[in-house]
Amino acid sequence: MAKGEAERPTAREGVLYFGRVAAGLSHELSNVLNIINELAGLQRDIAAAAVEGGGDARFARFSDLAQRIKTQVSRGEAINRGLHRFAHSVDNADTSFDLGELLGLLAFLEERPARLARVALDVHPPEHGLALCGDPFSLLLALHACVGAALRACAEDGRVEVHAEAAGGAARIRVTATGSLPAEGADAVSAAAFRAGAAAWGAAVCLDPGTDAQRSLVLSVPAAAAAREAAGTADPSLEVP
Amino acid sequence: MRPDRVLLVDDEESFVEILAERMRSRGLEVSCATSGREALKKAQEAAYDAVVLDLAMPGLDGIETLRRMRELQPDLQVMILSGRATVKTAVEAIQLGAIDIFEKPTEVETLVERIRSARAARLAKDDQETREQIDAIMRDRGW
Repeated sequence: MAKGEAERPTAREGVLYFGRVAAGLSHELSNVLNIINELAGLQRDIAAAAVEGGGDARFARFSDLAQRIKTQVSRGEAINRGLHRFAHSVDNADTSFDLGELLGLLAFLEERPARLARVALDVHPPEHGLALCGDPFSLLLALHACVGAALRACAEDGRVEVHAEAAGGAARIRVTATGSLPAEGADAVSAAAFRAGAAAWGAAVCLDPGTDAQRSLVLSVPAAAAAREAAGTADPSLEVP
Repeated sequence: MRPDRVLLVDDEESFVEILAERMRSRGLEVSCATSGREALKKAQEAAYDAVVLDLAMPGLDGIETLRRMRELQPDLQVMILSGRATVKTAVEAIQLGAIDIFEKPTEVETLVERIRSARAARLAKDDQETREQIDAIMRDRGW
């Protein structure tokens, strides 16, 4: 080990630090939003009392404004809740979690990139709860790589769909783009998804060529025990069914 | 009838002050505490119909405050108002006797309504217990 290497923080330590700080700041932000929400409520109360007491009818305008502030606070709170979930997704690298909940977080995180690309994004969790055991953050990273590739492949007004299903104790997650995922670029996508997190799961990423108009990336996540055994040993090379 | 008495507990002083003002304008008698220790002290000094308690507080957190409050006053009606209640902490709070859990932001009307219904349920329970005590005395003494 080179001199100074031992003192250098590991990637895991860095991710944990980032998550802790983001979760803490999200909590503080939530406190601020709650105070703004109550201030808007108080403003609405005062305006309503003034109107009821025969005061200037323009007070009703303050009530409307207070309601609009509350609407924006709700929007901010929903975003902040997603940020908080994202921050906590790094907490435990070996834990049991629900795939549907992780896909809910994925939908939240990818909504903005999809909107900026003018692509519709639909995420469909498994029909029934599906528990996985492992590192949720690694799986999120791998899925982000797949969804990112699908978004880039789509033309404007295209559509990306994410479908997850149980597959004999394991999970299969299919990311379908209605543009055309270039077959020649699939190697790079597979390798990127693998580097991003699929390796930790022993998961395979493959391209389902489908048609020119609709292709899919398929992330096959082994069952928990299998994932542990295969972690770090899977081949990142592209598999084409 | 006297107004409903409520104790608001949250480490964010601005938040409790504004919420207290809104509750007072709806006819409630409101006291505030900004820490678990202060809340325990106030709960011992005066009788409250309900306590509205935050979970994430420095020092004595909401769960520990709830545990101690219920040890001191098993009948105290405590509801949780928290920004980030996990399923685990929500279950723990209910097991410790919390009567309800609200996630911030919650409309003040919802909280006031719950405080009033908690008091009404408590009065009905007290009434029932008193009636049972009278019946028992009448049976024992043969009146």
